[in-house]
Amino acid sequence: MNLLEIKGLTIQYAMRANTIHAVNNVDLTIAPGQTLGLVGETGAGKTTTARGILRLIQTPPGKIVSGEVFFEGRDLLKMSGAEMRAIRGKSISMIFQNPMSALNPILTIGEQIAEVIHLHEKCSKKEAAERSRNMLKMVGIRPERAGEYPHQFSGGMKQRVVIAIALACSPKLLIADEPTTALDVTIQAQVLDMMRALKNKLNTSMLLITHDLGVVAETCDAVAIMYAGEIVEYGSLERVFHNPKHPYTLGLFGSIPSLDKVVERLSPIRGLMPEPSALPKGCKFKERCDYSCDDCEKEEQVLREIELNHTVRCMRAEGGGF
Amino acid sequence: MLYIIKRLIMVIPIMIGVVIIVFTLTYFAPGDPVSVALGEGYTQEEYDAQAEFMGLDKTYIEQLASYLMHLITKLDLGKSYFSNIPIESELMSRFPVSAMLGLFGIVLTVLIGIPLGIFSAIKQYTVLDYGLTALALVMAAIPGFVLAILCIVLFGVRLRWLPIMGLETPRHWILPIATSAFPGIAAMMRMTRTTMLEVIRQDYITTARSKGLKENAIIVKHALKNCLIPLVTIIGGSMAMVLAGSIISENIFSIRGIGTYMYGGISSRDYPVVMAGVLVMAFVVCVVNLLVDILYAFVDPRIKTIYGIRKNKRKKPAVMPGAESEVV
Repeated sequence: MNLLEIKGLTIQYAMRANTIHAVNNVDLTIAPGQTLGLVGETGAGKTTTARGILRLIQTPPGKIVSGEVFFEGRDLLKMSGAEMRAIRGKSISMIFQNPMSALNPILTIGEQIAEVIHLHEKCSKKEAAERSRNMLKMVGIRPERAGEYPHQFSGGMKQRVVIAIALACSPKLLIADEPTTALDVTIQAQVLDMMRALKNKLNTSMLLITHDLGVVAETCDAVAIMYAGEIVEYGSLERVFHNPKHPYTLGLFGSIPSLDKVVERLSPIRGLMPEPSALPKGCKFKERCDYSCDDCEKEEQVLREIELNHTVRCMRAEGGGF
Repeated sequence: MLYIIKRLIMVIPIMIGVVIIVFTLTYFAPGDPVSVALGEGYTQEEYDAQAEFMGLDKTYIEQLASYLMHLITKLDLGKSYFSNIPIESELMSRFPVSAMLGLFGIVLTVLIGIPLGIFSAIKQYTVLDYGLTALALVMAAIPGFVLAILCIVLFGVRLRWLPIMGLETPRHWILPIATSAFPGIAAMMRMTRTTMLEVIRQDYITTARSKGLKENAIIVKHALKNCLIPLVTIIGGSMAMVLAGSIISENIFSIRGIGTYMYGGISSRDYPVVMAGVLVMAFVVCVVNLLVDILYAFVDPRIKTIYGIRKNKRKKPAVMPGAESEVV
């Protein structure tokens, strides 16, 4: 059985004048121990998808319109508030994008880690404090610093604390929402290495949200490319990286600088993502696509399986026809 | 500790500044205390003698200098022009009453204003929120004296529930405290709502939610404490509001406090009394502000670090060699 199975998840934000279609009919699955990379540019709906899993969408204006999120066979979206809270922080936990603001400035980091342990593990405050010091040790912070406040730590250290909070109850699924975007490059590598090691040690599954394909290549087993609220290409890491089929995926790979070719300029994907409040009919990528034709806007594109473990939302992908 | 002493010393120049400003204002204010003191029909000689007795025949600078000298060297606030009773003894007997009124007013402001503000924020855009907002608008818009008179008419005269004069029994305290606290409650409620709304949008509140905490626990443990930092400032500021309001409510409810004393002083051009009243209020505001600043350190660990920065700076490098640790 899959650990997480998202089916037809649709999330919208109701604004005064219009509705923002942030996530449209997304299907994803994560097997136990697997890492899925969710890749896409800013505004593609990655974070909304992740928050939707934990039902942390700000309501209003956000709303999960339809879909199912099965976690160990139970639909999270149908759970009561209390059942959901028992899962948050215990079975599924989340690492947020910006470590600078993710920690409460007036509580010591020890308290913030111990809080989640005390809540879910039914242990005494003293034991929770002890275990929070162990967690600090695990993420490479001296346990004596448990009594210090977030402002006494640097960004990379804060993200380690956030990771310690997320892993404190040995969750089955870790959702990491761009865990390294706010950090500088040297710290990024450190934090990623640490996350990988801890994930393997605790046998945690992970949903890694990023826009860095290099990180995906190093970390993930499967990858889903997201564009304008939809999954446009989805498959095992190997299949998607060796045989990318969607023009958007090709564009993403094309815009990475190569080490062995000398080029004057990078080749970005031209144009901008469509407004999520006014998505075009048919293929959402048509406007920016080099291969678009009249048929692209006639019909709604569906995910087609082009080989084992590899689906693409493009009518031309099937025949291998570019 | 050093910081607190520094701040205490700062109170002195502030108070001298207040003395100079208030003295100048009363000096140039229209009205002649000498003729008020003499009443109808006096000769020029009588007038000059009275002016000399009051010390009002001297120049502005001389008067100011002698007032300051008395104040600084003997803590002498002078005598009332009319009653000849030393102002200090009068203030001493009246201060406790005003202080109690103010203190209860503040307590009421905090105990009612903050919870209502929190409800308003967590129920944003609901009927409850709109109702409280409308209530706060009305409360803030009604002048204190109108509200006091309305309360007297309703609770004192029509319903006969509460006494309307003096402070003999605890029941006497209800109306004066309520009317002086009302505008403060409105302001406190609105400020709490705004800061609360800001705080519950912060990332660390989402972190707290993602831990599986209950909404109540999130509000109390994570949000409210962060709210307190700006709110402490407002509490300090509303102390000044309560003091100003006390002049009105003490007069309306015939309470023998500093407010009535000052009011009497103003209407009879009894300048030393007015000066003394303003000085006491200015002093209270100074002290409250100092307390607010000290309170910050207890509420916000970031400010505590600044206070103790010298101690930390020396310790840090020894503890964490080569590691990224930053002291603000």
